Amino acid sequence: MDVAWGHVALAGAWGALVALERRAFLQAMFSRPLVAATGMGLLLGELQTGLYLGMVLELFYLGAASLGAALPENDTLAATGTTAAASMMAYQSGGGGTPALWSLALLLFVGLGVLGRRIDHLLEGYSARLSVLSMAMAEQGQLERAVRQNLWGIWPYALAYFLVNVACAAVGEGVGAFTSRVPLVALRGLAWAFPAMACVAAAIAARGSHARRAALWAVLGGVGVAVGTGVWAWVQG
Amino acid sequence: MIPPGTHLPRPVLLRVFFRSLFLQASWNPKGMQNLGLAYALYPALEVLYPDPEKRGEAVQRHLTFFNTHPYVAAAIVGGVLYHEERISKGEEDPSRVNDFKRALMGPLAALGDGFFWLSLKPAVGAFCAALVPWLGAWAAVLFLVLYNLVHFTFRARLFGMGLRLGDRLVEAVARAHLPSRGARLRAVAAASAGASATYLAFEFGSQQGGLGGWLLAGGCLALGALSYVLVARKVPPAALMILAAVLAGLLGAWL
Repeated sequence: MDVAWGHVALAGAWGALVALERRAFLQAMFSRPLVAATGMGLLLGELQTGLYLGMVLELFYLGAASLGAALPENDTLAATGTTAAASMMAYQSGGGGTPALWSLALLLFVGLGVLGRRIDHLLEGYSARLSVLSMAMAEQGQLERAVRQNLWGIWPYALAYFLVNVACAAVGEGVGAFTSRVPLVALRGLAWAFPAMACVAAAIAARGSHARRAALWAVLGGVGVAVGTGVWAWVQG
Repeated sequence: MIPPGTHLPRPVLLRVFFRSLFLQASWNPKGMQNLGLAYALYPALEVLYPDPEKRGEAVQRHLTFFNTHPYVAAAIVGGVLYHEERISKGEEDPSRVNDFKRALMGPLAALGDGFFWLSLKPAVGAFCAALVPWLGAWAAVLFLVLYNLVHFTFRARLFGMGLRLGDRLVEAVARAHLPSRGARLRAVAAASAGASATYLAFEFGSQQGGLGGWLLAGGCLALGALSYVLVARKVPPAALMILAAVLAGLLGAWL
């Protein structure tokens, strides 16, 4: 098996960068699944894979929010890890990204959001120690060092998410080498699974929108698209 | 962004604003954003308190518990500077600044969570996700532009309001009518999600063609409707995704 180590390292670097953006700096939504997965796909030469996985995961995690001290599932890791794996599968299979591969990646890496939450929780312990250290330094008059402890909270996140994304890309490479042996009938089933999962993600998004009469709005949106598609088809003859 | 009335130099204020973007870098369960707040304020405290002992007391004031929404925290950071300027001149008691933080962090967090996390983010996210089939990667770019236009405008304005108004910033924030705007944005999110589901079901169905195509499109929409009901009954979303994949996969393999 020819391993693309450059791609694997790139997946780790992008995963670490957007994990930091989500947690430590800016929160300008580069870490949202739509953006993070698209960026990952673009970097790994599988833009279409990134876009469609990003779209589904954006909808799936639409209602998740970090409210107060609550830790939601890590939507960023779910997006970057799944896309890295799917892109590497597509690279290894040689056929490019297909709905069947996207489904396979979504199913294999469905637990990444929960894993990310677990990592976030573990790293909070490190940040708590930094807070205690900072207070002790401030009491001793080392003020500059005390406030700079804030920045030390960043590196464990970068390292942890670099490693997890590298692992996802490596697993994707491994799985990709076997996709050529998957029977055609199973691939057809996986291809059907993708729009089904996308529709379920959209339903979860409508529910997670917290809108009043969300079902009504969702139906109106759907009817609008159905009418628009019908009119477009009629105009096209 | 930088209002008249403050005696802090503009570069110092810009440094404080920039450093406030790291507010959550060391978020921890005990002090929450305490380290981030002290880190953000430090350049201003250095100017306001040339005496190291007074400066140390000021830093320790801000290493106590602090937690709010990271965007609206800009208003509190500005307001803290407003109070610290007065404390450094002996016009206010040091306890005032902690009272100010305690009074505002909860209500502003609720406002920020409700508008940014539960309204703007879902609305822009679902809207741009629905545009992926037409815009491709530009949908992700549009997401960043639309969201951050609102985000950074608010963040900068809130910082300025805190600096200028101190405790009176609450009334100014209330005039922005964020809750009513949030309700409209949430409706956009729900409608966009419905549009995405319909488009994908039709698109993949038409690619399949024939009776199988109609089955696929109809089945996907039915699974979506069923999931909407099941999520409300606390069925885990991941379980629904797997169930949908298994059902559609079996049907696709069988036909």
